[in-house]
Amino acid sequence: MSETNKAKLTGKATVREIFETATEFEKVAHRFYTELIPNVSKDIRWLVEELAEEELEHVELFTNLSKNPEVDAIMAAEIARPVADGKFSDCVHTPDLGPNPDDQAVLQYALMRESAAMDQYTELAQSTPAGPLKDAFVFLANEETKHKAELEKIYYETVHSGGV
Amino acid sequence: MGLREVLTPFTVWKHVFDDPVTIKQPIGRPAAERYRGFHQNDLDTCIGCGTCEAICQNGAIDMVAVAGYDPEKGNSGLKPQIDYGRCCWCALCVDVCMTGSLTMSNEYTWVDTDPDAFRFVPGLEEPWKDDEEGYEREGKRVLSGIERIHMEEMEPEARIGNFDEIVAGYSRAEAILEADRCVECGLCVATCPAHMSIPDYIAAVRDQDYDRGLQLLYETNPFSEVCGRVCTHKCEGSCAALHEGDPIAIRWLKRHIIDEVPFDRRIELIGQPAEPTGRKVAIIGAGPAGLTAAFDLARAGHGVVVYEALAHAGGMMRYGIPEYRLPYDALDRDIGVIEAMGVEIRTNCRVGRDVTMDELRRDHDAVVLTIGLHMGRSTRVPGTEGAGVEKAVDLLRRITDGEKVPLAEQIVVIGGGNVAMDIARSMARLQKAEFGKVGITLTALEDIDHFLADPEEVVESREEGVKIFDARGPQEVMRDAEGKVTGLRTWRVKSIFDAEGRFAPAYDQSDERVHAGSMVIEAIGQAADTSLLGAALTEALEWNRGRIKIDTAFRTSEPWLFAAGDAVKGPDVISAVADGHRVARTVMEKLAAREVAQ
Repeated sequence: MSETNKAKLTGKATVREIFETATEFEKVAHRFYTELIPNVSKDIRWLVEELAEEELEHVELFTNLSKNPEVDAIMAAEIARPVADGKFSDCVHTPDLGPNPDDQAVLQYALMRESAAMDQYTELAQSTPAGPLKDAFVFLANEETKHKAELEKIYYETVHSGGV
Repeated sequence: MGLREVLTPFTVWKHVFDDPVTIKQPIGRPAAERYRGFHQNDLDTCIGCGTCEAICQNGAIDMVAVAGYDPEKGNSGLKPQIDYGRCCWCALCVDVCMTGSLTMSNEYTWVDTDPDAFRFVPGLEEPWKDDEEGYEREGKRVLSGIERIHMEEMEPEARIGNFDEIVAGYSRAEAILEADRCVECGLCVATCPAHMSIPDYIAAVRDQDYDRGLQLLYETNPFSEVCGRVCTHKCEGSCAALHEGDPIAIRWLKRHIIDEVPFDRRIELIGQPAEPTGRKVAIIGAGPAGLTAAFDLARAGHGVVVYEALAHAGGMMRYGIPEYRLPYDALDRDIGVIEAMGVEIRTNCRVGRDVTMDELRRDHDAVVLTIGLHMGRSTRVPGTEGAGVEKAVDLLRRITDGEKVPLAEQIVVIGGGNVAMDIARSMARLQKAEFGKVGITLTALEDIDHFLADPEEVVESREEGVKIFDARGPQEVMRDAEGKVTGLRTWRVKSIFDAEGRFAPAYDQSDERVHAGSMVIEAIGQAADTSLLGAALTEALEWNRGRIKIDTAFRTSEPWLFAAGDAVKGPDVISAVADGHRVARTVMEKLAAREVAQ
């Protein structure tokens, strides 16, 4: 049994594993939305552009953290693997939304990602030792919560536009 | 002259030893408990309707602005200022007050060397402001009627088996009585998106001058047959009468005027359009915004062609609103007047298929896009793809076209807006005709107090046998092994919005329900089909969060293209009418500017 699988069974993960998954999560999202921009109609491009921009900010945050010696010092430490980790890790695999996805498809995918990220970062913020990494997870948990609420608002306005 | 006549003047001497009635120092002498003294006004209750000003026989009251009281829906923000050099203390203003805010203290003495001091706004700082004694109207107002005149409507049992119009319309006698309740305050005018001359046309009903009434209607709205039946009547929500009774039935009175004027007479009264200008305007979409713009432009002498993709004009007024609410012949009369102004409507002509945007641009001086919201949205919960799940707007369109639509004995509708009610009630009628009974379940995310549908729609749906389950979030359309729909699985919605009012539905998963049905209809929202624009124009245009970007004058980023109506502003007939006027004005300004330049 590999060390990774062993750790999964024991419910523990190293900070490095968590960190790498989170970094990959944000990078994949940024790449996914960036590549999607030219494939969507201009009327919904604003939505994908905003999503790509938000993910880029998160990628930059992780890039800066990886250069921080304080974070580097705790990379080998073990912390509890978040319950939401499975769903979060699955998001590394991006879906095929088709050649010209509409606003609802993009929003539903984005909502699913934000929800997984919110759960993951909220748990990590609680279990990570105090320091810059914990601060980052607290920040990200708040960010993802805000993004999710904002996306839900957009979803309601866009899809549930009300009766005539 | 007799002795009696000589002595009578001396009889007044009998009081010579009595105490004098007059007193040297009257200040501070209390008045009777209900004496009508200086006015009091509860400024927070006063809605500034000006009814007191209108009724004052001495012109003693002026409505004035007061710092800290801004205009809002149903409230002008103005307050009565009373000139006591004119006031005769009759208290008519108190008796007529629509909210009961105006009363009178029993304070009657006030000495001041400044004559202007006796003209002031009651309710601010005067010492008797909060005195309890004085005069106030007993009970509710009696000078104008409290209760709305009953509108005859078909009983649920009679109406469920057909698509006949439910509302009968007022007789003349009923209309006069209802019109008589209006105090002509005009608060409604500000609320109406088209700013119709409501008090004036209600006065025309009272005067039985229907010609004048019709002319007033057409000043601001060429869709009075429609709006007299299905307007969202926001005006009634700001009516001064609703504070102590029913609001005036403004919508029904509008319909009454139009009912009283024969079609040919309407055209006579409106008169002929201006001389042809030689300018041509293309309008895409024959809904309320497009046809209102067409009416205004044609009246101004411009050549107007309306391109309509469907078989008949009217847009959502015809294809979204069932005939029991809006009969097609009533809609046709409104459209007929517009056509009589010279507007050409080309039906079955889909832009992008039968004519291109480039051709419209080439052949016209301006193009107006009023395409409405004709694409139904889906929840896209599991199970929504495949047979047995329909979209409400598609079914409503097919019913209007007389097509046979899919039907089941038990149907589940998702949605809490007017479209959901329209499809639920339409399918209920078809079920009654086919199966002899109604089997409709309607589920909505919102709780019943926050349904987007008009309250009367909810009431009438229930009367017709529609079972409403509010605060239910759809999770899955259930299907059997053969893929046939068996029902809709929902969770109870604990809350739809978060503390900041954002959409964030929270479900109670332990409260799960399966609403049985072999057909599910989604009526959750609509979108505009902008595919007619083509890729190049879609790219060229500027967009605003999914909608074509327009400025306050309804100009798009392309100088030849204008846009209005539901597709750019939101769904509501009267708002679309208002938009239609505005976009027409902008187009006319553009054409006039070009005329000057040439």
